[in-house]
Amino acid sequence: MAKRHKRFLSLEQRPVNKDGYVTEWAEVGMIAMGSPNDPTPSIKVQNGVIVEMDGRKREDFDFNEIFIATYGIDAKVAEEMMAISSVDIARMVVDINVPRERVVKVFSGLTPAKIVSVIDQLNVVEMMMGLQKMRARRTPSNQAHVTNPQDNPILLAADAAEATRYGFSEIETTVAVFNYGPFNAISLLIGGQVGRPGVLSQDALEEAIELQLGMRGLTAYAETVSVYGTERVFIDGDDTPWSKSFLASAYASRGIKMRFTSGTGSEVQMAYAEGKSMLYLEIKCIMLTKAAGVQGLQNGSISCIGVPAGVPGGIRAVLGENLVTTCLDLEVASGNDQTFSHSDMRRTARLLMQFLPGTDLVCSGYSATPNQDNMFAGSNVDADDLDDWLIIQRDLRVDAGLQPASEEEIVAVRNKAARALQAVYEELGLPRITDEEVEAATYAYSSEDMPPRDKVQDTKAAQDLLKRGLTGVDIVKALAKRGYTDVANSVLGIQKQRVSGDYLHTSAILDKDFNIIAAVNDLNDYQGPGTGYRLEGERWAQLQNIRQAVKPEDL
Amino acid sequence: MSQQDLINAIVREVLAELNGSGAKPAAAPTERYCGEKGAKLDYRKDYPMAAKRPELVKTASGKSLNDITLDAIISGEVKPDDIRITPQTLEYQAQIAESINRPHMARNLRRAGEMTRVPDARILEIYNALRPNRSTKAELLAIADELEGQYQAKICAGFVREAADVYERRDVLRKD
Repeated sequence: MAKRHKRFLSLEQRPVNKDGYVTEWAEVGMIAMGSPNDPTPSIKVQNGVIVEMDGRKREDFDFNEIFIATYGIDAKVAEEMMAISSVDIARMVVDINVPRERVVKVFSGLTPAKIVSVIDQLNVVEMMMGLQKMRARRTPSNQAHVTNPQDNPILLAADAAEATRYGFSEIETTVAVFNYGPFNAISLLIGGQVGRPGVLSQDALEEAIELQLGMRGLTAYAETVSVYGTERVFIDGDDTPWSKSFLASAYASRGIKMRFTSGTGSEVQMAYAEGKSMLYLEIKCIMLTKAAGVQGLQNGSISCIGVPAGVPGGIRAVLGENLVTTCLDLEVASGNDQTFSHSDMRRTARLLMQFLPGTDLVCSGYSATPNQDNMFAGSNVDADDLDDWLIIQRDLRVDAGLQPASEEEIVAVRNKAARALQAVYEELGLPRITDEEVEAATYAYSSEDMPPRDKVQDTKAAQDLLKRGLTGVDIVKALAKRGYTDVANSVLGIQKQRVSGDYLHTSAILDKDFNIIAAVNDLNDYQGPGTGYRLEGERWAQLQNIRQAVKPEDL
Repeated sequence: MSQQDLINAIVREVLAELNGSGAKPAAAPTERYCGEKGAKLDYRKDYPMAAKRPELVKTASGKSLNDITLDAIISGEVKPDDIRITPQTLEYQAQIAESINRPHMARNLRRAGEMTRVPDARILEIYNALRPNRSTKAELLAIADELEGQYQAKICAGFVREAADVYERRDVLRKD
């Protein structure tokens, strides 16, 4: 084209045009849902055993299908539920007169291909209505990422305190340098409790190391336990449904909460999608999670979001996978995680799908730091978006899990977290934290504001701490000895969760007094207007109270 | 009690409940729910256990939740090893999961109950042995025997034997 239209030239400069898009390509699985290679739903049960599923005979099942057919589908009701038409089941999901319990019962007898065909009947507004009714816990909540590229422990503690003061009920870290693992876990354990007692923290690491930190009480739960929708990708991920289920039971045997992780696009990214649609493969992951007896799942594409985001209807499919997770009666930590778009409009549109209906954890990693410090490759929303988030909650009268906090209280909890960590390091003989570092962490925007630390010494001490067999109880003692009695009690409160096992149940989180809020004693009972979770009373007053609002008496 | 007396008693109970007289059925549920034969915990009454059934929650060393205090930690009376869930508590939680129609979770918690007896290091080794192409069939079957014989982990043993069969069929056993 010789002569260019100036509006096109202008559009080309817009952020949305820095994102990548691709046309559907079913042969390699670049298709959100409805691939011509997806199987046709079918079921055959003989003597209580599923002998055929989605057009394949039991002797031809791969290991995922064996596991799902053996443990994931209720053979007693399967033929009855499979006989209901997909559109009728889709209507049940949306219909406020059909209780959640009934939908869960129907889904317990469906095959993966049938579930895809149900979801494909729904537009995104219907899916959001479904998610509002089907999420397991009545009260919505949120999770934050707390990381930095220097693995600076003081900044991690301060950032954890800030995040939990804003209301995140779970915080997740990971490492820039592998050997820092135990240090990062300790920073979140202490900082998180300073910001708001009862917060659960985790450290995303290699499976076996992650379990060890949990066993020692340095983390409160685990999430980075991936499952995959094809056998080949599962093997490439160095696991099977049996190894992952064994790991899940290992966590429970130590009284530790955990969830699995999966997401659309991972099989395409690992190049073995077998030409199936992303949603079809993801539904297998969700069913594997249920079959393993795991209470919940982190999904919503997560680290593969660029793949579904590039294809037609991809973001709809991502909402669809969250919805299926809830229809299978699992906790959902619903993505809005890894960054996928340069466009503020696009990332907000993607966010609203979970933000508006509410989920157990709207983000499964809101970056509590600026994105440059996020070690999960950035997040769809970060520390610079906090006021936008809070004001959108206020505009729409929606509780997406966060509440406003004043600058004074944020500074206070950051400082206290940094000082508590300083004291614990000294008690445990770990590399010294200076007053200058405490001060820097209290007021830091990002890790660039932190004085550099001796990383060789830090990583050596972190590994040595593992060899010494340090546990959460040692942290409690150190805090108590140095006068941080309230924080010591909170860290102890977290340790005690591993005795009662109450928080092993679906969608369990803790309030500031360590009361359990789970999809057992706080079951979602939404059945239309006047039911379910309602943002009102004290909580609504709290969410209205933003610092930017002018009060009549100020005028 | 004769058949007729029994029916009369039931009718009286039902009527009492309908009339809201507050009269409770003869068998006190609190008695029956203490893990006696046939009595199962229920999510409506017994969850969360720490608040509703604290008397049933003991640590591995027999302490109750109220014994785990800051003072007891500082004095060394409570040690890290005390803060461990027991197979009995996991069984109770499995019953609660069943009562809310989550049989999959109950199965997981019962596997976990058995695994409380397996040391940390051995658990990690078995997990690694269950990864694809790590073990021969004989090795997996030996692990199953060990789980059953040494740790009375029958459900887990069955699970590992099932894995051995599936791995053979799907060709994910180690080839020497």
